[in-house]
Amino acid sequence: MVPIARRMLFTDRRRALLGVAGVAIALVMALTLDGIFAGTTRQVSRFIDTSPADVFVSQEGVRTIHMAISLVPGAVADEIRQLPGVVWAEPVLFSSDALRVAGARRPSYVIGYMPGGRGGPQILVEGRDPGPGEMVIDDSAATALDIAVGDEVEVLGATWTVSGLTTGMTSIVNTSVYVTFDDLATALASERTASYILIGTEGDPEAVAKSIEAAIPGVESQTRPRFSAEERSVVREMSTDLLNIMSFAALLVSLAVIGLVLYTSVLSRLRDIGVMKALGLGRIGVTRLVLIQGLWTVVSAFALAVAATFGIGAIVASVAPDIDVVVETASLVRAGAGAILVAAIGVIVPLIKVWRVDPATVFRRPS
Amino acid sequence: MSGRVPAARRMTTADPKRLVVSLLGVGAAIGLVLLLQGLWNGQLVQITAYEDNVGADLFVAQSGTESILGDRSTVPLAAIEELAGVPEVQQADPVHIHYTVFDLHGEKELVLLVGSDPGDLGGPWELSGGRAPAATGDAVLDRTFAEEHDIGVGTEFEMGGRTFRTVGLSEGTRSWMTSLVFVTAETAQEMTGGGEVATFLLVRTDEPDAAAAAIRASTGLDPLLPATLAENDREIMAGIMEGPVLLMIGIAFAAATLVVALTVYSGVVERLREYGIVKAMGAGRFRILRLILGQTILLAVAGSVVGYLMYLGGAWLVGQLRPQFWFSLQWRHLMVLSGAAIGMGLVAAIIPARRLGRLDPASVYRG
Repeated sequence: MVPIARRMLFTDRRRALLGVAGVAIALVMALTLDGIFAGTTRQVSRFIDTSPADVFVSQEGVRTIHMAISLVPGAVADEIRQLPGVVWAEPVLFSSDALRVAGARRPSYVIGYMPGGRGGPQILVEGRDPGPGEMVIDDSAATALDIAVGDEVEVLGATWTVSGLTTGMTSIVNTSVYVTFDDLATALASERTASYILIGTEGDPEAVAKSIEAAIPGVESQTRPRFSAEERSVVREMSTDLLNIMSFAALLVSLAVIGLVLYTSVLSRLRDIGVMKALGLGRIGVTRLVLIQGLWTVVSAFALAVAATFGIGAIVASVAPDIDVVVETASLVRAGAGAILVAAIGVIVPLIKVWRVDPATVFRRPS
Repeated sequence: MSGRVPAARRMTTADPKRLVVSLLGVGAAIGLVLLLQGLWNGQLVQITAYEDNVGADLFVAQSGTESILGDRSTVPLAAIEELAGVPEVQQADPVHIHYTVFDLHGEKELVLLVGSDPGDLGGPWELSGGRAPAATGDAVLDRTFAEEHDIGVGTEFEMGGRTFRTVGLSEGTRSWMTSLVFVTAETAQEMTGGGEVATFLLVRTDEPDAAAAAIRASTGLDPLLPATLAENDREIMAGIMEGPVLLMIGIAFAAATLVVALTVYSGVVERLREYGIVKAMGAGRFRILRLILGQTILLAVAGSVVGYLMYLGGAWLVGQLRPQFWFSLQWRHLMVLSGAAIGMGLVAAIIPARRLGRLDPASVYRG
């Protein structure tokens, strides 16, 4: 069987490349903007996602960290440790303030954890864990605010010395700083309470989460994936909606451009298609021909666009480390399926003229 | 060949279908960039709506306060009496401003609670219905926020464990992150458990600089001009969101310029035969180049106009669907983008123009 559609499409390489390039540019825009939105949304649950805890316990009714106040009696951690399936349980304190230094500031979570425990920074890229009066800050915030290990910073009305730097804990919403549990308890005048209890489990975390809620009144118990999804959801509603609209607008415009590129592409090949019709190709055959050509164009462009988007992501990561470009499968499916759909419309609309045309006209020389 | 023949315009409009497709493609790409830029500008305008519109000439804050978004100012109510003794001060009223989370139909909404005494500075500046809060439990909500949650004048709702009655609806008091909720000063004080303190003292004066100096000297508090406060708030907002937003705009801009370049290039390549005829009729290289550049400029300028119209349509549509998102576009953005479109179009036109320069005029008459 002769692959007529593909041969016709790529006979004029320049024309074929222009079509592929146009579609690819539109797809790169849609995928990259969606990737920035996805990366930004993921960043906000980084504390939860990178925590070794399988289950998070909070005050009843509190399902997030962002814009929430959770108070759990400190004794709850001891009670949880006695429950089956619980390997370890550690309290952490949370507060919000600004990290300030020399006239500059950055909104920040202040996380108080037990020294040597699992609630602290998961990675230290420089320095050491905080001692009394010390804190670990994120390297991205440190760069932005020109802070180095050993410098003094202000948080919660007190002065702290930076003992180390962690990484990946700055998001579009804020950054995170780590201090000792006792220091934060003193700063917040909080006695014998925690904000959240982090729990390591053996077996099914979901079952452990349920058993905690059943055994201890007044607490909310969520597995890490559920807690993370709740956190992303609330931040998306409150903070990242703007990026969502931008990303969606880009997708719509990209699809429109793809449709127009494919429309123009078929318009410019109408004469060739007319020849095929004159040689005996029926309506179905002509439609199939342009649909296959459209599919070839979109598939080639899609492969190029995905590679280019990953390339842009790598460049962004090296130039602006606090911005993540995350290409999600859902985003690829959305852009790919949308591109195929508008491409199909784009190639079929100009065919209406071909369906009506007298095949003999194509043999007349254009004037 | 006469120089008076508008060949560029005639060739551009010779194929209306292709022209429309090209204009739509270029317009969509330019319109997207304008939409993203306008959306971002709008957020920066919205975020400072309170300090821009409340009618105060000075915000007297706790020493060291620089913004509403990033600082927690607390000033003693007793300072009002000291302000009354400053000759330049015509009026001084306390205002209580606190973030709180609204839980409506299971949806969390971050709101900025603003408490002021009836008739004082600090309350809503434009009401589309009802009246300003006058008694405990009265609340004025932003009209678009209220509509979104099916709240009208007279509707009761719960916030922070209290029941409020909507007595009025305000205009221009919502940003994409938060909505203003106006209550009485007494209510705000009770909700925050605050004592004899306010967040700011709002001052009306004809001599802001002299009044600020006198207030600073007599109270030790920091009087801030609304413009300064707004600038600092915008800076904080930009610090949080600017990275990903500008990256999105940058990528859309790059894609738009490539779409323009590709459209121009395709247009020239598709018309090689026509250019060949013009050349065969005696047009020199310079004439051909001028012809191509003329068409490019026409396409870029007309595409910019179409893009601006698309921006207006997109902004209207978003305004209808999501009224918390404002748009604000300056002419310079349109000028820069049109300039870039023309520039990219010219660069893209040079490549096929060089090819045309080498084209054998006789070849166009061959089949």
